[in-house]
Amino acid sequence: MLDGIFRILPHILAKLIAGLPMDISRALEEIRIRENRPLEIIYGDQYRFVSVEGELLERPERAYCPNKDVCIKLIDLLSNHSLYTMEEELRRGFITVRGGHRVGIAGKVVLEKGAIRHIRDITCFNIRIARELPGIGIPVLPYLLDPSAYSVHQTLIVSPPQQGKTTLLRDLARLISYGRLKMVFPWQGLKVAIVDERSELAACMDGVPSFDMGPRTDVLDACPKAEGMMMMIRSMSPDVIVVDEIGREQDANSIHEAMYAGIRVIATAHGRDVEDILRKPVLRELIAQQLFTRIVVLGKRSRMSSSIDVFDGAGRRLLLPETV
Amino acid sequence: MMSMLKLLGAALIVLAGAMIGHIKARRLADRPAQIRRFIRVLQQLETEIAYGFTPLPEAMHKLAQQTAEPLASLFAGIAAKLSSGSGMTVKESWEQSVTERWPYTAMQEGEQDILFQLGSSLGTTDREDQLKHLRLASSQLGSMESEAAEEQRRFEKMWRSLGVLGGALIVVMMY
Repeated sequence: MLDGIFRILPHILAKLIAGLPMDISRALEEIRIRENRPLEIIYGDQYRFVSVEGELLERPERAYCPNKDVCIKLIDLLSNHSLYTMEEELRRGFITVRGGHRVGIAGKVVLEKGAIRHIRDITCFNIRIARELPGIGIPVLPYLLDPSAYSVHQTLIVSPPQQGKTTLLRDLARLISYGRLKMVFPWQGLKVAIVDERSELAACMDGVPSFDMGPRTDVLDACPKAEGMMMMIRSMSPDVIVVDEIGREQDANSIHEAMYAGIRVIATAHGRDVEDILRKPVLRELIAQQLFTRIVVLGKRSRMSSSIDVFDGAGRRLLLPETV
Repeated sequence: MMSMLKLLGAALIVLAGAMIGHIKARRLADRPAQIRRFIRVLQQLETEIAYGFTPLPEAMHKLAQQTAEPLASLFAGIAAKLSSGSGMTVKESWEQSVTERWPYTAMQEGEQDILFQLGSSLGTTDREDQLKHLRLASSQLGSMESEAAEEQRRFEKMWRSLGVLGGALIVVMMY
């Protein structure tokens, strides 16, 4: 899983990360590299600094500090030796690398007429390790089936950050695209269109998804959601449209458009629970109109597990919270 | 019989002298020509970066195909190192390839320094900055080229005649 990471790490960093104990490298979430500041790793709910010898430290004093040379090497490697091809990525603040991992970057921002043009003197890196969890959507999917249409319900997934919202959405898209999954999804695969504004769902490299998104899935990479949904409706005749993190006025218009065109939408939104998202005007309206016939709420149970709640459009609970 | 052999030896010595002179003169003539070619390659690279957004490994590969030896294998070497996945940076691959292939070119230390400087900034900055560095290297190579052309003008003929004359001098002294 970390293979893609080692391709972009300069030798010394690769050695330190490869030397991490198995249980930690398996739970690794982020590697944070800051020029002349301690190397930090985040796993589970904890953070540690790493010393030159590979020890994990709670205090930063004795930690290894990557110097400017290491940072320049890192930029060189993660941009495929060509930072000049990454202008769009620099404007957005992150670069997607092989394996679907994303590297967030910060440094000195260069403005042009008040708008961000790119980042130079890149000195902070956050390597976020992407994990594919095939099958995570299987317990949820039966609740989303709509037998009358041989399709899925209009679904909104609500979850606070870092609870696997995107991972669940990705797996649902794949399961629906494959189809014929026994009782979980008894029908043929559906045409799935993904509008991946932040390149997070499919993690496309040169337009090709890094993750297995299913055989009947089209991905519109890095496109603003509202326009992207309209484009997909017009051009790709999807059965299901999948989008991440809706919430703006234009998003609602596009969702209306899709739903009236008979297309099923699976979307996600930030929020702790249904009450929380009802405070957002756009989402409140969509829910009040009962456009979404299923609402899935992901909650936090303990450090490693989360709970899943499923409601119908009128707010009736269909699935008791269950630890997954 | 003896005099025949002596004459043959003398002819060979004169020929060898002429050859040495010829090789020296060739190197003098090759140097400005190769610098001019390198400048053209850099202009091509400029286009690849500015308009093609071509990633550097691919751009190096293209350049290798579009130029003749000895520059072709230099760029092919860089392309191979960059796409090998060995974790070598542009700077390292560039410096290594330039050093390896340098003896096969007629260019000299001054040109090498300019290229090393270019190699250390290639790939790691934004487009405009890349173009600045490429243009700087081109103009520096340009002044090297006129210097080399001047040298060629002054010394090429000299080396040619010096070779033959040197050979002749040895023959005269031996007789």
